[in-house]
Order: sequence, then C-alpha cells, then structure tokens
Amino acid sequence: MVELETVAPFFADRQELLAEILGRYPEYGRRSALMPLLWEVQRAERFVSEARVGEIAEILGLHATEVRGVMSFYSTYHDHPVGRYHLKICSTLSCSLAGSDELYDYLAEELGIVNGETDAQGRFSIQKVECLGSCTTAPVLQVNDTFYERLGRSRCASLIEALRKGAPPEPWRERGGDAAGSASGHSGPAQDEQQRGTE
Amino acid sequence: MSDAVAERPTPIVSRSDPRFEVTLYRHVGIEDAWTLDYYLGHSGYAAARRSLTTMTASEVVNEVKASGLRGRGGAGFPTGVKWSFMPKADGRQRFIVCNADESEPGSCKDRYIMEDDPHQLIEGMIIGGYAIGATLGVLYVRGEYYLAYERLERAIEEARANGYLGKNLFGSGFDFDLILHRGAGAYICGEETALMNSYEGLRATPRLKPPFPAQAGVYGLPTTINNVTSLASAVHIMERGAAWFSAMGTDDSKGFHHVQLSGPVAKPGIYEVPMGISYREIIFEVGGGPTMPAKAFIPGGTSCPMFPFTDEYLDTLMEYASVAKKGSMLGTGGLILIPQEKCMVDAMYNIVRFYAHESCGKCTPCREGVATWLPQMYRKLLEGLGTPADLKLMEEMVRNMRGTAFCPLADACAMPVQASFKFFRPEYEYLVEHGHSQYPKSDWWQE
Amino acid sequence: MKVTVNDTTLELKPGTSVIDALFAAGFDVPYFCSQEYMSPIGACRMCLARVGAPRKGPDGEWIADEETGEPKVFYFPNLMATCTTMVMEGMVVDTLAEDVVSAQNGMVEFTLINHPLDCPVCDKGGACELQDRAYEYGTGLSRFQFDKRHLEKHAALSELITLDQERCIHCKRCVRYFEEVPGDEVLDFIDRGGHTYIDSVEDGLPSNFTGNITDICPVGALLDTTSRFRGRNWEYDHTRTTSLDDASGSAIVVDARTGRIERIKAGLNAQVNKIWIDDGTRFGHEYVDAPDRLREPLVRRGDRLVPTTWEEAAGFIAERLAAVDSKQVGIVLRADATLEEGIAAKALAEHLGTGKCDHFPRSPASLLAGSNPATLEELATADAIFVIGDPTEEVPIVDLRIKDALKGVPSPELMPHGVPIADLRLKERMSRNGEMLTVAAPYRVDLMKHAGSSMLYPLGAEARLIGALQQVAEGRPEEKVGEETGLTAQQARGLVERLRGGKKAVVVYGANVIASREASEAVLAFARAVGAKTMALPAMANSYGLEAIDVLPSHARYGYPGLLDGEARALILSNLNPGANSHYAEKLRELELLVVHSSFPDETTDLAHVVLPAKTGYEKEGTVVNLEGRALPLFSAPVDGGGSEDFTGLVKRLGVALGNRLEGRSVRSARRVLKRLLDIDPASLPPEGELLGPRTRGSSRVSVRAAERAQGNLLLVPSMIRHEYLSRNPHLLAAHGETPLRLNPFDAARLKLSEGDVVVVPVDGVDRRAGVCISEAVPAGLPLLPALPDQPAGPAVAQFEVLRKERLALEVA
Repeated sequence: MVELETVAPFFADRQELLAEILGRYPEYGRRSALMPLLWEVQRAERFVSEARVGEIAEILGLHATEVRGVMSFYSTYHDHPVGRYHLKICSTLSCSLAGSDELYDYLAEELGIVNGETDAQGRFSIQKVECLGSCTTAPVLQVNDTFYERLGRSRCASLIEALRKGAPPEPWRERGGDAAGSASGHSGPAQDEQQRGTE
Repeated sequence: MSDAVAERPTPIVSRSDPRFEVTLYRHVGIEDAWTLDYYLGHSGYAAARRSLTTMTASEVVNEVKASGLRGRGGAGFPTGVKWSFMPKADGRQRFIVCNADESEPGSCKDRYIMEDDPHQLIEGMIIGGYAIGATLGVLYVRGEYYLAYERLERAIEEARANGYLGKNLFGSGFDFDLILHRGAGAYICGEETALMNSYEGLRATPRLKPPFPAQAGVYGLPTTINNVTSLASAVHIMERGAAWFSAMGTDDSKGFHHVQLSGPVAKPGIYEVPMGISYREIIFEVGGGPTMPAKAFIPGGTSCPMFPFTDEYLDTLMEYASVAKKGSMLGTGGLILIPQEKCMVDAMYNIVRFYAHESCGKCTPCREGVATWLPQMYRKLLEGLGTPADLKLMEEMVRNMRGTAFCPLADACAMPVQASFKFFRPEYEYLVEHGHSQYPKSDWWQE
Repeated sequence: MKVTVNDTTLELKPGTSVIDALFAAGFDVPYFCSQEYMSPIGACRMCLARVGAPRKGPDGEWIADEETGEPKVFYFPNLMATCTTMVMEGMVVDTLAEDVVSAQNGMVEFTLINHPLDCPVCDKGGACELQDRAYEYGTGLSRFQFDKRHLEKHAALSELITLDQERCIHCKRCVRYFEEVPGDEVLDFIDRGGHTYIDSVEDGLPSNFTGNITDICPVGALLDTTSRFRGRNWEYDHTRTTSLDDASGSAIVVDARTGRIERIKAGLNAQVNKIWIDDGTRFGHEYVDAPDRLREPLVRRGDRLVPTTWEEAAGFIAERLAAVDSKQVGIVLRADATLEEGIAAKALAEHLGTGKCDHFPRSPASLLAGSNPATLEELATADAIFVIGDPTEEVPIVDLRIKDALKGVPSPELMPHGVPIADLRLKERMSRNGEMLTVAAPYRVDLMKHAGSSMLYPLGAEARLIGALQQVAEGRPEEKVGEETGLTAQQARGLVERLRGGKKAVVVYGANVIASREASEAVLAFARAVGAKTMALPAMANSYGLEAIDVLPSHARYGYPGLLDGEARALILSNLNPGANSHYAEKLRELELLVVHSSFPDETTDLAHVVLPAKTGYEKEGTVVNLEGRALPLFSAPVDGGGSEDFTGLVKRLGVALGNRLEGRSVRSARRVLKRLLDIDPASLPPEGELLGPRTRGSSRVSVRAAERAQGNLLLVPSMIRHEYLSRNPHLLAAHGETPLRLNPFDAARLKLSEGDVVVVPVDGVDRRAGVCISEAVPAGLPLLPALPDQPAGPAVAQFEVLRKERLALEVA
C-alpha cells in the first residue's frame, strides 16, 4: 500500500473533537490525551500511520519517538492496516478449554488467512490474542470492538456469513452466573436459540 | 454501626444460607439497568447522598475499614486502610483511580458491572473520592471492553447532566468529576503504577515504590487506586453498614466475592458468593459440577497456583488465609477447572504464553525468563524434544524468576509453573520420555 | 546511620542507597541499569542482596531477639535490588550468601541469553561491563538452546552513533539519559516484553548531547561511529584532559592510538560537566589528523613557502625583527590559547618592548569586572535563573546545569568509591520547575522549550531590554517596557520578582550581551539590583584566563582589529585567520613580517613569511580558566603533530634566536610566572581544577576596549560546533551538514533560496560557505550564521546581492 506523504492532517477538520479530547484532562496532564488520540485515528483509519504518529506528537508537544514508543507498547494499536472486520480470537486458557484453537483453525481455513494477516480485499484480518475477559462465556471472538461470546460452531458459521454480507449481527447478550435473574444463572443453549431468533 | 460488629450473628459462609442475597450483581443481565432512570428506581445514589450529606470523610473511611472489605483486584489489601494512607490535605489535587483494566485470565467480574450497572461504579467512585478528599476520579477501562467504555461514557454524561457528577453533589459542597480513560491492551496496566503511567500517556511499565501512589500517584499527585468491585462494594457498605458486610464471610475474609467459573463445568458463569464458602460447594453446588473428569482447578485467575482436584483442596475454604495456607491465592476469583484430558504441560504453556505476551520488558528476569526463555522451553517439550535435563533447567530458571523481578508479573508466571511441577511432574516426565503427551489433543469446540 | 555489610559496619548518611553502602564498605555487586547522576530504576536486577533491618515494636522500642537480646533483624522475604533500597538504621546486608550468588548467576544467564556474544568483533570488547560482570558473576556456561533474538545490527542511529539492537540489554540508561539529562526524548523503547528494542523515529537524533549515550551504554549497543573498528580499548592511550571546545572546561578523555586520536569520551569533573559533554566536544576531533595538517615550519622563498627547521625559521624571524621597529610588532593569540601561552606571548612582547599584544575574540567589556560570578554548581542549585542568550550552543554544559537546577536536586556528595551509583533523590520523569527559568534571545533558542517564560527581543535591544528591567527593579515608571524590548510590563515585573525572591538567583548572559559594552554593564547592574549572581558565556575556552593574566594591548588602538588595520608593521598570529577577510588580506600583504602559528594552511598562511606548525588543544600541556573562573589542567595526549609546538615552544625557539631566555619559554617557566600572578599553582591542580582566588576573580583589569557593532543584516551566532574545523571533521559534517545559513521562509523566498542549497555569501568581507536551512523559528529579516573565531558572534553585514549558489538542492519531484 502506497502512502502519500502529503496526506492531510487528521485533526485539521476535527478541531472540535480534538479540543474535546484535550479538554478531558487537566492542563498539566495534556499527555494523557495520547492514547485517546491514537484511538480516534485508529477508529477512523483502522491503523495509525507514521504520519499520524508525527501529527499526534506535534499536537502534544512530544517527539514522534515517544508516541511510537507508547503506541507500540499496547497490543491493540495497529501500525499497518487491518481488515474491515478485524477478528480477535482469544486463545488463553478458558477459551482454549472451550475450543478456541479449533475456532482459530476454522477461521483460518474459512477466510484463507493466518494470524496477523489481512485478506486481499481488506475485508477480514485475524489475530490470536490473549485473554479478552470473557472467560465464563468462552470461546469469544471480538470483531472490531464487539464481543461474540459462546461462539459455538454454528454461531460462528452464521457470524462469518453475516459479516461477509457486511451485516454484523447484534451481539447476543451472554451473562453467566446470577445474571438476568435466571435461577439457574446460566443462559443455556435453548435460550441462545431463542435470543438469536429475535435478532 | 460498628458496635454491631462485636455481636455479629453466625456469619454467612454458604450461598445456600437464606440470609444471603445477591448485591453487586443484582442488576447484571437486566436490559437497560445501565440507565440512570433504572438506577435511581433502585435506590441509586442513596448511599452516596447519605455519605456525603451526613458523614465526614473519616467516618466513611472508618466504616469501610470496619467492614473488613479487602481489595478485590487480586492482592486483597484492606480498602479502608488504603484510603487512610492518603496524606493530609495540602491543597494539591488528589485523585481516586478505578482500576478497571481487568485482564487476569479467568476473570471477568468487573466487566459486567461496568456494562450493566455503570452507575453503581460511579457511585462507588463518588464515595471513595469523598472519603479520600479527591475531587477528580479516573476510570481506567481496559481497551478491549468497548461496550463497558460506551456504557460508562453515557452513564457519566447522564450523571453529569443530572447533578450526580460535578459541583456541589447532593448539596454537600463536595465537587467530584470523572475522567474516563480507555486502555489499549496491556495486562501490566493492572499493576497500579503501570496503570498510572499508561494513563499519563507513557509506556505502561511499573514505577518504583516508594513513593507509593498515596504520596505521588497520577501526575505525581496523591492518588488511591481501587478495583471496580471494591468500589462497588463500598456503595453497599455505606448503604447497609459495615456490620451487614462483615456478617458475611469469615474472621479472615469478610463479605462476598465473585467467583467466575470457567472450564468444563455445567454452569459456567459469575456467581456472587459469601467468603468462606468451600471450593467444593462452588464447583459442585453453584456450578453444577464438572462436565468431564477434572484433575485440577485454579482458584483465582491464572496467576494463582493451581490445586489438584482432590478432597483436600476441594474442601479448602475460599478465604485469604486458607487459600494461602494451601500455597495459592484468592486472587480475583477466576476459577478455572482443568479437565483430566487436558495435557497439563500444554495448559501451563498456555498460561506461560500469556505472561510472556504481557511482560513489559522492563526487568531482566521477566523479559528474558518469562517472555523469552520459558515459553521456548515449553514449546520444546510439547514438540517432543525435551530431555530430563530440560525439566531441571526449567525448575531452576523458574526459581531464579521468583522474587527477583521488579513487579509481581514474573511471580504470577513462576508460581503456577512451580505448582504444576509440584503436582503434575509425572506429566512432564511422560512427555519427555515418550515425546508426546499422555493426553493427546482433542477437539474442545462445542456446537 | 549504622549499616553492616557482610562483616563491615559503617556509618552512612540517611538517604544513601544500599548499593552505595556496600561499595563504600569495599564490596561489590554487579549492576547495569544504575548510572551515576541518573535515577536508579531497579531494572536489571543484578545488584540483588539479602537485606534485613531491625523493627520497632508498638512501644517504640527495637524488637529484641529472644536469644541474644540484641535488636532482631527482620529480613525482607525476597532478595532486594540494592540500587533502589534505602539504608535504614541497623540494616544488615549480605552480598555473599549462597542464594545471592545463585541469583546473580541466574541474572547473568538471563542477561546473556539474547546477547550475541560477538565480543571478538565488538568495539566494546575489553571495556564492556557485561563482559566483566559475566566473567565475575556468571557460571561461564549458557544453557540457552534456542535462536537468539534477531534485530537490527549496525544501524546508524545518526551519522555519529551506531546502534546494535541485538547487543542491547535493556538497561534503559540511554533512554533515561535523554529524558533526564538534556530533556530531548529522541530515543525510546519500542514494542514490549521480549520484543523490546531501542530506536528513534527522529531523523538523526536531534539533540546537542547524543554522544553521551555511547559512554554510558554498558555494552556495545551504542557506539561512537567515528571510532568504530579503529582499535581495542586496551590499545588506546587514555589521556584525561580539559576540552578547549568551549568555555566550560569540560573534562574529556582523549583516546589515542599510534599517534592518532580515535575518540573522545567524557571525563568526570563533578564540579563542571559531571560526566556529560556535548557532541561538538566529543565528535569534533577528526580535524587533528586531517591530511593538510601543518607538521613542519615553512618559510617564504619568493612566491613559495618551503619546508624548513624550527631553528632556521626562528633565525629568519629574528633577522627580520631586527629590521623592524620592535614597537611595531603585534602578537595575537586565539582566545583558546593556554595561560602558559599567554605568558609566553607577554614575555615576547615585553622583550620586544611592544604593547601590541592581544587575544581574540575578545569582548568589548570585561568578563571579570564588576561581576559577582556564579559557579556552575551554584547555577545548578539556583532557584531563579534569567538567561539572555543561547547556552545550548554557546556553552552547552551550562544548558545541562540549568536543567539540573530545574530538577532542584543538588549534585550528590562524593563517597569513598566516587560519585554515588544510585542517588535515590533522582527519579525517572521528575517534575521540572520550568517557572524558575526565563530565557531571552533575539531568536528562538532551544532552552526556551524548558523555560516557564521566554522573551524574543529585537536584535540589538539587549541594553534596552535590561534597562527596562532595571527600571522595574528600581521601582521607577515602566516607560521603557514595551514592543521595543519585546517585553510586557507583567513579564518584567514577574521576572524581577522571581529573581529578587530567589535566594540563589543567577543571571546568565551570552554573546549578544557580551558583544555590547553597554549591555554587559547594564546586565551587571541589573544583577546587583536584584541580588543575583552572574555568569557570562565567553566565546572561547580561555577567554576568562587570558583576560585575567592581561594578555591585552596597552592601548585601545592596538587591539587585534587595529593591528590588522595598519597599527603594526609586523605580526605574529597564533591560530587566527584574518586573511579570509579581503580587506585585511590587503593589509597583511603590506606587512614587513607576518608570522603565522597555525595547525592548518589557510588564507593567512598563504600570505605569511613564516608559518609555524601549532599544536592542537589535545596536544598541549597547560592551563585554562573556564567561565566560572576555574583553572583547569590540560595534559598532552600522544598525538602525532609532527614538529608542532604550542606558543611557549615558539617563544623558546625564538628566544634562542633572539639570544634571550624568555620567561614563557616553556610550560614550566610560564607556570612560575603564573604562580606569582594568580593564587594557584598550575603544576599541581587537582583534576577538578581550582577556582581562582578573589584577587583575580571578579576584579577588573581591562582598560582597553574592543570595537563593537550594533547593526547588521545578519546575525553571527555561537555554535556548539567549531565551524572553523567543520570541513575537516567528516562525521560531524555528515551529521550536521554544511555550516547552516538559517533563514525565515520569507527571506528564503526573497533571496530565491531553497532548503539544502549551498551558497557562498560575503559576510563582513569574508566569503562564507553555508547550507541553506529554512525555519519558521528564525525571525524574518534576520538570517543566522554561525560565528568563527575571526568573526565572533554579533551583527554583521552580509552582501546577499552578490550571493553565489554553489550547489542546488535536488528538487523533490
């Protein structure tokens, strides 16, 4: 992908947003805006390019190296473009015990890409990640910002199908344990079917 | 109220005790419970109102101290005591920070509070802020919890628009506002000083202590950091009194805890249970029992050494002291069941890989041991290339990682590995001898 | 505080780190991340020890051991990183226990698993902390069986520094250094965990102080490119001496091999530069060995200069001198000549009976007179600082010492083992009190980034600016404050209050003030009015000293410019190049005798009757006085300068020819004079030097004033780099480019110049070659060009109408 050096500054026509983000923090804590600014760029462009790193550095009065150092520390900022649907497969213990390895194999086969890759159309990218905090509703797949929990085989197949059509489904509400006032504290498969029907 | 503590009735130590009721999680799973309307309809902000208008800050601190509430983020430091560490007011801005960077594998209790009952947390922060004299709160939410972030964002807006955040809350003269900050994927941010660095826009490496956050926290200003569940618990302690809270649990561990059951168990999920309940009751009665033969369970998130699935350990009570006596920790309450059919070496590799991925790289034993060498040793074993000398090497290496690193992350990796060697060494030996595990990989993915 | 380390008990000050306690007790632990003068961070985990201390019970008494009745020692459950642990009363430290030794073995093993162990081809080999520590504290075996981490090797972090990411052991000294010392965060860790590496996305590490990271890197990850693959550490002769690069008198270590300087490292002078030097000082040494270095005397035979011996050259000069009225002889030294050379010059002048003796560049006003001079330590502990000038370029160490003051942590007291290894008062990312610093300059200078307030004033308005401040200080109406001075009344009042309120206020003033007598006097009066000490930033290394020993003409007319303009019939010049100026070149041609003592051929040697090869600053023995009035020793490094001599050598040879044993005929004889003149014995100066006594410090000897100019269309500015040598310093040239002509975009457009063009423009009669740098930071109508010894800082007239483009920048398509 060729990147033009003369790309227009991201925040040039988003001054209000910029002011809002900077305004969240006390004056002496201006640098706190670094992560939110990176988030804004990534949300819009699906990754943070070198030019944007430089722009954010300038906004905050930092060196670009500092911004790069911070950005590279965190695992959810991308320095290269990811797919329109970035699929993050949790592969830590609870999800692994619920089949996340097989889930990954399925996605890799189905989408023809492996961990860290983006497909040719720029539609899907997949990434194996560590614990997403959905251990009681494992396995979990995070599509961009949305969690799809208890992603069994058939749910997974229909999710991918929906994403291919460009229509990500509303995530089903999974609340384990005492949630939803259900006495059993557990939304069983039957309930799942019911919920899915209503979506 | 603290008078009542002395003549406390028999404590609630079982979930089947009729006196026990679900508190923090009562709104979790209910549609629209996250709205201000719903929250106010369920006596929302009453505890904060009462605290701010009828009590002094030190009375609030003392009430929480009297309740015996210990931090629910994993380390279990008494919350009220932590609050009392704040220096005398000297005109400097103070902060209360909520550590909502829940990332310990096996744990997800904070997420649902934020997603389904964000006002409860906001109220907890108001109370905490009032107690320590902080007029600004920082809510640091882990980056992956986007729904939680959105819900909190809207809840904060609602609270602000309706006078629950801002100037002169409840006419008490106390000002309080919140800064919502989103992380971006770094387990180390669960360490309080790393979180502060992250919030300040720095690389999230842990800071040197002392100075402790109470002396120099965010922006070098006095700061107290609490976990989501600790702060939410404070709401109910202020609402119902310390005695109510300390009537649950044991002498060592008061109140309730959130067990997050995962692995092959009939009813995985999050359960609010009184402290002092036995692991047997949790797994068999609350969770409906294992769905396949189990050989071990991790009591409180992957950093807590595992217990073998034997009577001795199943009968251990879920309280700080008892678990510690058995060589593990209460942790966050993320209980993971490990089935007999799962190769323990593979399970440990999974855990080690997590800590390897999350090591910040600051100190040598963690960067080179946890993040580099140990996972490679596990890969070698799992590829069937290990030797008996490798096992000895791994044990020595892990011993060198214990207690030598800058922050507890290396210990969090080393301790479970040591436990696996202690209880499941034969599995390692089998793997070395035969070049493959005695438990072949099988398909765990359900329909 | 009583602390016991192994079997040794010692008394230590509270606040001492345990690592310093155990070094003070004569023991050793390995460490990589701790670094003198920087914050301890406890990252490498090498300095672990078993540490315990007694505790007090609830009754306030020490808890006693039941058996012995002595206070019971409670040990920490884990081994402690001694660099980040503070001593406590009764503390017990064990560095020899088995578990400590085994942990040290373990840490060495961890540290080495990803280290390439390419010691045989690594420049650091033989001087590598990791090598030494692995040898001392490792088992000698590696059990790591996998591929090592592969990262970028020999990457040019800049033209001056080579980075090998594989060798890095993540001690973070370099990253911390940039944040803590110069405050230019141009290097950082990238990625995390086992993938962490150091890198910069900034182009060429934009900071004046990058080279120090090569000194503090414990391994061969960061190397001085100028010395890469030039020699092994044990092959170098290490000469600790004083730098003549600027007026700071920074300590340097000259590493030479087979007669050639291979590298310069920073030396320790706790009072002056601590362990830091700027890049000009470090990398600006390659000229010494330039191929055109003059190595033997030359004498004019007709149109040509032909090689000769010193004896013949001296004889030739003596013969010619006999033919001129000796009162018409002028002798001028460059202002980085040593005190001894100054004595020699004076002795020669005295012998000849001439008062035409001077040094150059020399300020119009005295550097010594009427001042209440601050030392660098006083600057570093000041509580209010007002800077008029650009210390970062003028005397870079002053920039660093000002930044020390912003942190508010005084330099540590030295311990038996030297500078404390872990000063626990220093923290990573300490807050800086920028509010105490005000910086004023006619253009934007680097230090302004760190200042609470800054002022941009119009060129030449120094005296007016200070005059306005003086009014405010005296409580008179503030009529002078205004646009003309670039100062608002509020700023002026704030600054005066800050300086007056400070108990240890310092006013620092640089070339633009020094260039004007009126401004110099005004600044001293202002400092007196607000009760501040002063620090002047002289142009060259020994400006202070040469004034202090009166290397001055007997009359204003006999100053260097006057001598060039016809006041002398014969001239003996040391390391000056007036011939570059077309006007002076004509005058030089008319002289009856022109003797040029120089290290390199130039426009002036071309005109000389006799050329005498001069030693460079690295080859000299002698004494200089830095900007705070501190006499510092110079030691000669074993550099092959051929037949070069310093000015004392010249005077010795000439004395022989003149038949007189002159006082300054050798360093030793000059020092006898110096001992009488000053209150110091230059022959036995301690390494950190000695402040001149009150007899010389702060007293005025200057009766003769140099010329000054207030107006011009270009400003000659001081520079960290010595531009007279830039073309002979290939690495520095590659890193910093041609001597820059810095222009506002508006001026660049007017002159039709593009970034990167190389132009030649006459400035005060000297054809100056420069690369065009366009910057918004430069005021419109005021192009900036680095000064030279013969073109000192100040306004100058550039003839842009005859500007010649020598090379055009490639247009970017």
